[in-house]
Amino acid sequence: MDIDHDATPPDAENEARRFFLKQSMFIAGLSMAPADLLQAALAPEDGPVGNAAKVKISLTVNGKRRRISIDPRMTLLGLLRENLGLTGTKKGCDFGQCGACTVHVDGRRTLSCLTFAAMQHGSKITTIEGLSSGDNLHPLQEAFIKHDGFQCGYCTPGQVMSGVACIREGCAGSAEEVREYMSGNLCRCGAYPNIVDAILEVKMEGLKV
Amino acid sequence: MKPFQYLRPKTIAEAISMAADDPEARYIAGGTNLVDLMKRGIASPTKLIDINHLPLKKIEHRYDRLRIGALALNSEVAKHKAVVTRQPLLAQALLAGASGQLRNMATVGGNLLQRTRCSYFYDLALPCNKRKPGSGCGAEGGINRTHAIFFAGNGFGGIEKSSCLAVHPSDMCVALTAVDTVVVVNGPDGERRIQMKDFLRLSTQQPELDTNLGPGELVTAIEVLDNAFAKHSHYLKVRDRASYAFALVSVAVALQMDGGRIWDARLALGGVAHKPWRYWAIDLMLRGKAPSEQLFREVAEHEMESAKALEGNAYKIKLTSNAMVAALKTAAGIS
Amino acid sequence: MKKQLLDNASDTSLDRVDGAVKVTGTATYSAEYLVPGLVHAVLVTSTIAKGSITAIESREAEAVPGVLAVISHLNAITVPGWPERKQPAERVPVGTALRVFYDPLIYFDGQPVAMVVAGTREQAVHAASLVRVTYQQETHQTHFEKNIGKAGVALNVQRSKNSPFQDYQRGEAAKSENTEVRIEAEYTIPTQHHQPLEPHAIIAVWEADDKLTVYDKNQGVKSAQGQLAQAFKLPRENVQVISKYIGGAFGSGIRVWPHTMAAVMAAKQLKRPVKLVLGREQMFTSVGYRPYTVQKINIGATKDGRLIGIVHEGTGQTSMYEEHLERTVLASRTLYACPHVATRYRLLPLDVNTPTWMRGPGDATGMFALESAMDELAFALKMDPLEFRLKNYAESDPERNLPWSAKSLRECYELGAEKFRWNNRMQAPRSVTQNGLLMGYGMASSLYGFHRHPSKVRAVIQADGSVIVQSATMDIGPGTGTAMTRIAAKVLGVNAKKIRFELGHSALPDAPGQNGSATIPSVGSAVHVACEALKTRLVALAREMSERFKSGGQVVVRNGQVYGSVDDKDGVSYADILKYHHLNELEVTEESKSGAERDQYSMYSFGCHFVEVLVSPLTGEVRVTRVVTCADVGAIINYKTARSQSIGGVVGGIGMALMEHSEMDHRFGRYVTTDFAGYHIPVHADIPPIEVYYIDKPDVHVNPIGSKGLGEIAIVGVAAAIANAVFHATGKRVRELPITPDKLV
Repeated sequence: MDIDHDATPPDAENEARRFFLKQSMFIAGLSMAPADLLQAALAPEDGPVGNAAKVKISLTVNGKRRRISIDPRMTLLGLLRENLGLTGTKKGCDFGQCGACTVHVDGRRTLSCLTFAAMQHGSKITTIEGLSSGDNLHPLQEAFIKHDGFQCGYCTPGQVMSGVACIREGCAGSAEEVREYMSGNLCRCGAYPNIVDAILEVKMEGLKV
Repeated sequence: MKPFQYLRPKTIAEAISMAADDPEARYIAGGTNLVDLMKRGIASPTKLIDINHLPLKKIEHRYDRLRIGALALNSEVAKHKAVVTRQPLLAQALLAGASGQLRNMATVGGNLLQRTRCSYFYDLALPCNKRKPGSGCGAEGGINRTHAIFFAGNGFGGIEKSSCLAVHPSDMCVALTAVDTVVVVNGPDGERRIQMKDFLRLSTQQPELDTNLGPGELVTAIEVLDNAFAKHSHYLKVRDRASYAFALVSVAVALQMDGGRIWDARLALGGVAHKPWRYWAIDLMLRGKAPSEQLFREVAEHEMESAKALEGNAYKIKLTSNAMVAALKTAAGIS
Repeated sequence: MKKQLLDNASDTSLDRVDGAVKVTGTATYSAEYLVPGLVHAVLVTSTIAKGSITAIESREAEAVPGVLAVISHLNAITVPGWPERKQPAERVPVGTALRVFYDPLIYFDGQPVAMVVAGTREQAVHAASLVRVTYQQETHQTHFEKNIGKAGVALNVQRSKNSPFQDYQRGEAAKSENTEVRIEAEYTIPTQHHQPLEPHAIIAVWEADDKLTVYDKNQGVKSAQGQLAQAFKLPRENVQVISKYIGGAFGSGIRVWPHTMAAVMAAKQLKRPVKLVLGREQMFTSVGYRPYTVQKINIGATKDGRLIGIVHEGTGQTSMYEEHLERTVLASRTLYACPHVATRYRLLPLDVNTPTWMRGPGDATGMFALESAMDELAFALKMDPLEFRLKNYAESDPERNLPWSAKSLRECYELGAEKFRWNNRMQAPRSVTQNGLLMGYGMASSLYGFHRHPSKVRAVIQADGSVIVQSATMDIGPGTGTAMTRIAAKVLGVNAKKIRFELGHSALPDAPGQNGSATIPSVGSAVHVACEALKTRLVALAREMSERFKSGGQVVVRNGQVYGSVDDKDGVSYADILKYHHLNELEVTEESKSGAERDQYSMYSFGCHFVEVLVSPLTGEVRVTRVVTCADVGAIINYKTARSQSIGGVVGGIGMALMEHSEMDHRFGRYVTTDFAGYHIPVHADIPPIEVYYIDKPDVHVNPIGSKGLGEIAIVGVAAAIANAVFHATGKRVRELPITPDKLV
C-alpha cells in the first residue's frame, strides 16, 4: 500500500473523496507500507520540494517512513492530527504556551504546534501513539495510571512525552527539579503533584525509559 | 496565515542569496517566535528560508572567547561544559527562560531576534507602533503593568521620545548584555561583527526595528569574551508565576571579587526597557568596595533615578531596585 | 441504611477506568472524530464592544482556494426556533441568549460576526484573516468601577419573590456597626477564565434534513440535546449529542454557546459536516468566565470573639443581554452562628459577554471575602483564626433554622490543624523567616450546597456475567465512570473489571449535566438504586433455582455469585442464573431523586484549608509551600480520584489567589490577556505537595450512598486561606486578587 498523502486539496469538493481514502488507510493501518519502496521515492537528503501551494516531504513517524504532500503552512501538529489521524497529540493553545502538543523530534521533546511540518522533512518523530509497543504500556504511562496523574486526560499525552524526556535528559533528580523542568506542560485539572510522583517513581526505580 | 514558499538552503551563501533583494523573505530556525507571529498574522513572509541545516551549531572555546553558533539550541548551550564553567550567568539566564520543550527548539540566533510579548503588538485589532508604525502605542494610556520604565539611553530623553513602551522578552540577552558579547552576522555585503550593546535598539526611532541587522543579514554566531565573573554571577528573574513566564524584572549580575572586595562589576536589567538595560556606571560605583546590603541599595537606587513609571507599572521602580539588591547580594555571596 | 454504605478504604481505590486510553492518547475528544467529508470552520469576531455591523467584505476571503462559504448575518440560515429578524434590528430584552449571525448588532468585543468554512483549517484561517468587517461604533461601557452606580437588583430577582438572591436580613440590620470590634473592607475579584486545556470544539453533522448529530465539548448532553432540538424545532430524539471525553471544562461547558450554534447552522447551510475548534484567544469571549465582583463586608464581634453581625454586599458583572446570578453573598448567612446578618446582591450590566459558572461559582468568590474578613477580625481580636471560627461554629443552619443533614466541620478543623501543625503558628504577622523569606500560615473554611437532581440509570447483566451500566451523565475530568463502576461493583458484588460504565451520549438514560457537584449524589444514587434492583432480580431468579437462596435476608452477593449466607461456600454465578433461565441478558432501568428530606434538613458539604506561604521580602513573589485540605463531603466513593479532585481544587485556588486575571483595555472594551502567556494559570513549579484528608462519614439523610460531591468545594476558600497566609507572612492585607508581586513589593 502506498502512503502518499495529499494534505492540500486544490478545492474542498475533492475533500470528501480524499477523506474517505485517508480514513480507509487509517483503518487498514498506515504502517504497513514497505519502507524501502518509500525510501526510493524521496530521501530526506534531497530536501523538500514544492511551491507555495504544496511541498513534498518525507519523515519518520513512530518508526514508519511517511511521504506526504502538504500545504507549507501546516504545522507538525496539524499534520499529525488532521492528516495522519494521530490525535493523541493535543492542540491546547496552538501558540507554544501549554505543552499539550509535545512530541519527540529526533529524541528531543518539541512543541509540534510551533514547527512547520515541512521543517521536519527528514526528522524522526515519536508521538504518544509510538511511545509503547503493542498492548504494553510505557513505565511512565503505567505510573500515571497508578498515581492518577491526570483527570480530564487532555494534557496527558503531552505530560507523558515531556516526562519521559525529562527523565532521559537527567532532569528528574528531585521533586523540585521535576516541577521546574515539567513547567512547560500545563494541567488545568491540577494533577501536578500526582504527575510529579509518577515521574519520580519511574526515575527512582531506574526503569528503562 | 498567508501562503509562503518553503526553502531549505544547504549553505550559508545559498541562504543569503535566497534572502537577498526580497524584503518579504524570512529566515526560520527554531520557529518558536516566528511561527507564532505568522499564525497571528503579525509576520507574513512570502518566502521562508529554513536555515536549520546550515553548519552553525558548534559551541567551542577559542583563544579568548566562547563562540556559540547561531543554531546552537538554548538547551544545548545551557548544559555545555564550557558555558557552565566559563559563563554560568548565560547558562542560568537560558534556564530561566521558556520551558524544556522551547529550549530544545529555540536557537541562540532566534533568541537574539525574538520580538516583544507586548499584548498590543500581538493583537491586530489594537494600535501598535512596532507592528504598524504610526498607528499609536496601545500601551500608552492602556494596560502597561509589564511595560518599560527606562526609555532613551543613559537617562536622557524619556517616555515622550519613545514611540513604543514594550520591553524585550529575552533572558539570554540580559546576560549577554551584562558581559562582553559580539554578535557575528553575515549578509549580502559579507561578515560583520556587532557589539551586543549595539545589536538591539531602543525605541526612540523606528520601533518596528528591534535590531540593527541589515536587510538579508543572518546571525551566524555569538562570541562571549572570557571574563573573571564565573564565581560571582547571578541571574535573578522575578515573574508572576514560579516558572514558564516572562520576567516582570530580571537582573544579570557579574562581579569579580578578591580579598572581600569588588574589582569589576557588570549589571543588566530585563523587563524594564525596549532592550536589556545595561547599568553602565555600576563598575565605577562598586570597584574597590566591600559588598554590603547598604552599598547595593545605594547603587540600585542611583540607577532608578533615571527610571520613569507609566500609569500601571509604578511598582517596577521599587521592584527593580529590590531585585538588583537581591541579585547583587547573591552574586557577592552575602546574606 | 448502614449496610448500603460503601467501603472507602483508600487501598481499595480503583484506578481510573479510562486510564489506559487517556495515557495512550486514544481517548477521542470532540474535535477528533473521523467524519467523512468534514470541512473546517474558523470564526471571525468583532473588534468593537458595542455598535452594529455596517458591511462585511468577504470577496477576498471567498477567493481563497478551498473556501466554501463566508457565513454571517447577511446570509446565515434562519434558525426555526428563533423569532423572525426585525428590520431594523433591535437590541434584545434582558434574558435573551446571544443569537449568532442573527442581526448586525454587536453586544461585546469578541462576538462572532462571521465564519469561514473551507476544506482545510489552514485555508479557513487564512481566509478568515481576509474578511473585512466595518462597524457603526457606539460608546461602550466595560469598566466596572466607573459604572458601579448603575448596578441594581437583577430583573430576574425583582420578578421572583422566592429568589435566593433577594436581599436578606435576620436580626437587626446595622448591628455590626456597633460592635466592640469591627472590620469593614472591600474585596475585589477580577474576571477569571476557565481555560480548560482542551479548547471548546464541535463537529456538527446533519445525517438528514431533520436529523442532527453533534460531537461537542459540553457538560450536559441532555441539556445540549434539548436546546438544539428546540432551536431547530426537531423532536429530541432526532438530535444526538456525543461528548464522551471532555478535556476539562470547570463550568465553561454548561450552556450551548453561540459557537456551537454557528457550527450547526453552517453544517445545515453547506450540507457538510463542519468542525469548529475555538482558538485560545476566542476562549476568552466565547464560553463565559468568573465575573468581576466587588464585595463589601462589615463584620463585628464582641471582645471575646463572639460574632454579632455580618453585612455582606456583592456586585457582580454581567452582560447587557443576560443576567448571570451566583451565590456570592449567600455563605455569609449560613457558615457561622451569627445573630444579625444582612446580604445584598446586585448586578452590573456591561458591554461584555455573559459570565457563567466557574468552579465553586459564587462561593469561591464570596468566601474569599468572608474568610478574609474573618481573618482580619481575628487579627483585630488578637485571636487565633481557627479558634475564632470554632467559637462561632454553627450547630444548625442559622439561615433556615434546620438541622444539618450532617456536619463534621469541627472534625475537619481538628484534623487539618493537626496534620498542618497549626499550633506552631505565631500570632504576630511577619514574625517568621526561612532562608531570608517571610513565612506565613493561613486558613479558611469552605462550604458548598448539596445538589441532587433526578437521574436514570440502566443496568444490564450479560450472559457472561459482565455488567453494562449506562447513564447520560458526563465526565469532564473527575472520573465519573470510575466512581460509578465502584458503586456498581460494590452493590452487585462484581469485579470492577467486569463492569463497563457508559456516559456522554444523549441516547442514554436521563441524567443531569455535570455541574454543582451533583453527579455523584444524583447519578451515583441512581447507579446504586439500579444495581440494587438488578441484584434483587438476580436473587429472585436464584431462588427459583435452589432452596438454598430462600433464607430471607441472609442472601449475599460477592465475586459475581449469589450465596445463601455469608458463610455459604458454594454460590451460583450470575452467568449461571441467566443461563438457567435462558436469558441473554437482564436489564433494569431505575430513577433516583430527592424526597421530603430536602425540607427537613439543611444540606451542605464543609471543609477547610491550611496553607503555608513563603514571600520574598524584596521581590514580593509568593510561593505556596504546603497545603493541607480537609473535607466533609459524606462518604468518599473512590479515594484515589476524590483525592485528585481535591488537589485540583487547591491548584485552581492557587491560580485564583496568585495569578489569574483577565485584563481588559477599557478604551477598546477588549481583553489584552488572551493567551496562556497573558493569562497565567499555575504550572508545575507553583504547586507544592498537597495533603488531602476526608472525614469520610456517610451523610445518611442526603441519598442512598451518603455522598455529597466534591468538585466545587475543593476550590472554595482556598484563595482566602492563601491571602490570609500572605498577611501572616508580610503583615500586608491584599484584598484585590490576584496577589502578584506588584501588590507586595
